[in-house]
Formats: sequence, C-alpha cells, structure tokens
Amino acid sequence: MTSLLTGYMLVLLLPLFVASWRVSLTGLSLQGLLMAWMLLVRRPALSVDLVVTIVDLALVRGLVAPLALRRVLRSQRRPSREDVIPPNLLSWSIVVGLVMLGFQCAAWLHPAPGAQHAQVAVAATGVLLGLFVLASQNGTFSQAVGALRLEYAIALFELGSPTHLPLALRLAQVTIFLGTVLTYAHYVGRLRSTELAAPSARLQ
Amino acid sequence: MIAALLLVALPLLGALAALALGHRSVLAAVLVAATSTALGAWLAFSQGAPSGHLWGGYFTVDPTSRLFLLVINLIFLGVVGHVRGRMQQAPELLDGIERFIALALTFLAAANLSVLSNHLLLGWLALEATSLAAAPLVARRATASAVRAAWGYFLFSSVGLGITSLGFACLARSLEHSGAEPVFFFDQLRTLASTPPDAWREAGLALVIVGYGTKLGLAPMYSWLPDAYEEAPPSVTAMLAGVQFNCALVGLLRVLQVYRDGEPRMVSLALLGIGLASMAVSTFSVIATHNYKRLLAYASINHGGVIAIGLGLGGPAAYGLVLYVVSNAFIKAILFLSAGKIDDHYGTRDMREVSGLIKDLPASGLFLTVGTFALLGFPPFGSFLGELLILSELMRAGYVIVFVAFCGLLTVTFVATGRSIFPMIWGESRKPAPRLGLLTSPIKLVFVAALVTMGVYLPRPVSSLFVDVAASLGGVR
Repeated sequence: MTSLLTGYMLVLLLPLFVASWRVSLTGLSLQGLLMAWMLLVRRPALSVDLVVTIVDLALVRGLVAPLALRRVLRSQRRPSREDVIPPNLLSWSIVVGLVMLGFQCAAWLHPAPGAQHAQVAVAATGVLLGLFVLASQNGTFSQAVGALRLEYAIALFELGSPTHLPLALRLAQVTIFLGTVLTYAHYVGRLRSTELAAPSARLQ
Repeated sequence: MIAALLLVALPLLGALAALALGHRSVLAAVLVAATSTALGAWLAFSQGAPSGHLWGGYFTVDPTSRLFLLVINLIFLGVVGHVRGRMQQAPELLDGIERFIALALTFLAAANLSVLSNHLLLGWLALEATSLAAAPLVARRATASAVRAAWGYFLFSSVGLGITSLGFACLARSLEHSGAEPVFFFDQLRTLASTPPDAWREAGLALVIVGYGTKLGLAPMYSWLPDAYEEAPPSVTAMLAGVQFNCALVGLLRVLQVYRDGEPRMVSLALLGIGLASMAVSTFSVIATHNYKRLLAYASINHGGVIAIGLGLGGPAAYGLVLYVVSNAFIKAILFLSAGKIDDHYGTRDMREVSGLIKDLPASGLFLTVGTFALLGFPPFGSFLGELLILSELMRAGYVIVFVAFCGLLTVTFVATGRSIFPMIWGESRKPAPRLGLLTSPIKLVFVAALVTMGVYLPRPVSSLFVDVAASLGGVR
C-alpha cells in the first residue's frame, strides 16, 4: 500500500474513534485532498478533464463540503462532542470487522496484489464504514457524514478506473454532488431544532 | 427528434417562466403538462415519430422510453390538474406556489431526461436531479415531521443512487477486465455483455439492484417511503409514486435488458428475495397501521415487491409485469390524490375517524373505492391480469415456495386493507360536504378508464407497445 493510501486509511478510521464534529469534518476534508494528491502523483497529461477532477476532489470534496457543514454547525454553537458511531466496544469491534471485510472484498474482486488491489480494498472499507455510520446513527449531522463518507469512497474507487466521461457529464456530476452537499447542509441546519425537541407522537 | 428535445426543454422553460408568473404559474404548468402529454402520446403511437438513438447516442426513443414517457407525463398532468383544483378551493395554498411549480416542472424535465437517456450515467444524474427538485416539495408543509421526512427521503435517495453509481463503476471494471473499453451506452453495452461474467459484474449487478431498489422503496432500504408519502402534499406523493418510481424502474429495466441473459440466476434470486421481503414488511405494516396515507404507502411497497418478483422472473411474466407497472402508476395517482382530499376534508389521517365517505365526499369516495379494488387486484382492472400472469409464471418456472409465500402475503394484505378501507367508505356519514360531480376530476376518470381498458381490451397500438417492452425483458412476442 502506498503512503498516500495508508494516510487515506488513517483519516478514514481516526474520526470514528474521536467523538468530535471538527475531527469528522477534517477527516472528510483530508480524504478529498488526499484523493487529489493521488491523482496528481500519477502525473497525468494536463487536460480539461484533469482540471475538473481536481476541482471536484480538492475544492468541492476537500473544502466546500466540509466548510458548508462547519458553517452550519458553528452557527448553531453545537458542542464539540459528536459521536460518529456509538462509543462502545461493540461498535469498535464492528469497525475492525468491516475493515477486514473490505480487504476480503478486494481479494475477491481483484485478487492480484498491487496498487489497484490496495485501492479497491481501501475504497471497499470506506463504503462499508459509511454504511455502518448511516445504520448506527439517527442524528442528521452523523447521517450526512455517513452519506458523504460513502460518496468519497466511491470517488476513490472511480479514481482507479481508466474510464473517461465527456466533459459535460463530468461537470453535471460535480454540480449534482455540490447540490447534494448544500442540501445536506440545509437539512443539518433546519433539523437541529427538531432533534433537540421531544419527538412528537406519530399516528401509526 | 424535436419532440424528444421538447419533452426536456419545455418543462425547463416552464420552470423559469413560473418564477416570473406568480399565481398564474399553475395554469402555465397545466399547459406545459398537457403539451408534454400530447408529445408523449405522439411519440408512443405515431408511425412518423422518431425512433432509435439521438444526439450522439445519448438519448433513445425505444418502446420502453415511449411507453414510460406517456405514462409519467399523463400522471404529471393529473397532478397539476389536482393542484389547480385545490388552489381554486383553498386560495391560502397559493403562497409560494410559483416556487412549487418551478420545482415540479424541473422535476418533470429531469424525469423525462432520465427516461430518454441511453447512457447509464446520464440517466443516473437525471434521477439524482429529480431527487434534488423533489426534496423541497416533500417539505412544503414546513412542519417538523415534513422536514424530517424530506431529509429521510433525500438521504436515502442519494445513498441509493450512490450505491447504484458504485455498481456502474464495477460493471465498467468488468468490461475493462475482459479487455473491452469501458462504455456506458446501453446499445453498446448490449453487444459487450456477452463476455463471460466475472466477480466485478456480479458485484456491480447486486449493487445496481440494491441501489435502484432503494429508490423504488424496496426492502431492505424502504423506511424513507412511508414517512415521505405521508408527510408530502398529495400532489407530491403522486409525483413520487407515479413519476419518480417509474423513472427509477426504467433505469433498472435498462440494466436488466443488457445483463439479465448473462447472469440469469443471480439476477432472478436477488430480485425474488428483495420482492418477497418487501411484500412481507409491507403486509405486517398494513396490518399495524391506522393511518390511511401510511397504509397506501405500505401498499406501494407491496406493489414494488410484486414488480421486483416480476422482474426476477422475466420471460413470459414480462407482459404481465408491464401491465402491472402501468396499472400501478395510475392506481397510486388516483389513491394518493383522493387521500389528500379526504385529509383536507376530515382533518385527520386516522381511518377510525373517517366513515361514510361515499355520502360525505361522493367523488373522492368513489375514486377511493375503485382505486382500492384495483389496488387489491380485482378484475376488471389491469392489475388483476398483470398479477395473474406473474403468478402463473411463478408456478410454471417451478418457484413453488415463492408462489405460496406470494399468495399468502397477498391474501393477508387483501384482508387487512379491506378491513381498514371499506369502513371508511361505507360507514356512517360524519361530515357531509357540498356535492361535486365526478367531472370535477376528469383526469382521474381518465386514469380509471385506462385501468379498466388494460384489464378488458387493449387497443392494438397500446398492446403492441406493451408487447415490445415485454420483449425487451425477455418476453415472447
């Protein structure tokens, strides 16, 4: 595994064990920036496609998405403690299990060892951890972080593919992702008050 | 070619105009929807309509897109007709109507684009755009529960579509591993899909089925659907259930059209499992609920389950599946729009507090009755014939356990739904309203006529369109 992928794995795992929204958002930001770095390390020829991908990874995923959520949380003066997963031994054991499962998936999908294998393993781990965060949390912010972790893992996976999309489609993809992030931020802000209030009885 | 372009461009232009038109935007939306429906009908039935691939192969006008363009535009016309009627009865709803209409028309443009798409990612992006436009519509009532439902809807939509895109990436890797250039055009994929299946393709197909299944409200990722369908205004619920559901289904149909022959057993088992699980969770939820809007939402999950089973079977069940899908779209539009009127009139969603509907609100009561009979799969509706064909194929293909479970769950749903809905219709009158004729809901009459026609006699052009769509899913001509 390359040092960049090892770094990515660390920023994927560490925020799960540190109950702080700042660490969560920093983790997301670092994931975006590390993906951009991985792309540049391959020294691809300069093209419009490359520029759009760098903008997507470094600017949108690395900066805009975490900052949009940070702005909302700061405006709410939210306490710094925010569990991404339940802080107990069972959750941490599940995380370890999911990491192993991610690597197992990579062994099934891409048995030949090498950089591709490692990238698939880390991306599969990211997808599984994102789904775990989504499944284990009710809070809007934690769910948004879970969904973004999933999106970032998919981006890492696509980074290893040689598929090239037409520019218009790439731009549409970035725009839709940006719209999704801003919608997440909107609901994290709007639902905070209802999360604090007692849950209303619903007619079942 | 221009007609296909107009189906996307016209609603988009309408959306922009709506922002400037204020209260008159509703009328503009009705005009746009009527024009789109006329264009959809022309594409579906005219001999001179374009077919094949357009604009560099990114769009396709084939039997699947022709049928579903007509269905979703007709349902959207019913929705905006309902909105116009409601605005005349309750002028207070006009507040913010131009934003509502602009988002609804953007939703329609994205929905038409997703159905016309011949490109995996373009269709996927258009479907994401429908979710972005629909989320604020779900939250229109601005209550805490409506906002939470909108969040749940949007979160599950984006996660489901994220999983779908991961599935596409796996399918592209499968092509790459077989030595082919990864492509995303359906027509090109059909020629490349004959390569031997590998782990990438299996993983990709499983992810695509789960991802689109989330958008369709199928188990295990269905929990967003009852909340969103209950909390959204009735017109928005009808849009989600009748328009967006079919757009997601077209996405899944197209993937299955390409890959089902290469992986028949894996695809069948996955869809049969998801379908049965969806029917099971909806059946237990139907028994437990006292809320008629939620009951209809759970019934939608049940319908989704039947559709998944039909997709899993393919072959001779395909014609029944197409009949069932189209019937299902009209049934849900009739029921959700009628449920909205009942909610407005009685001010409650508790079915124990509603009775004598047929006397209090004769038109809505009658539509609820007809819709419920169609929902339960009674003759002479298309849903009856569709369900019968799917059931007979289950037996013919030797899925006896699935057949028994299907019949058992259907019977329980039948009894539980009838026990809940019929006392609402026939019981004692509680709150009579001024009489309004059936002609005040002309589009719902059209939907009912379509349901009966599909169960009794299909005119040749419609029938051949259904047969063509079924053939693309492995059905016999």
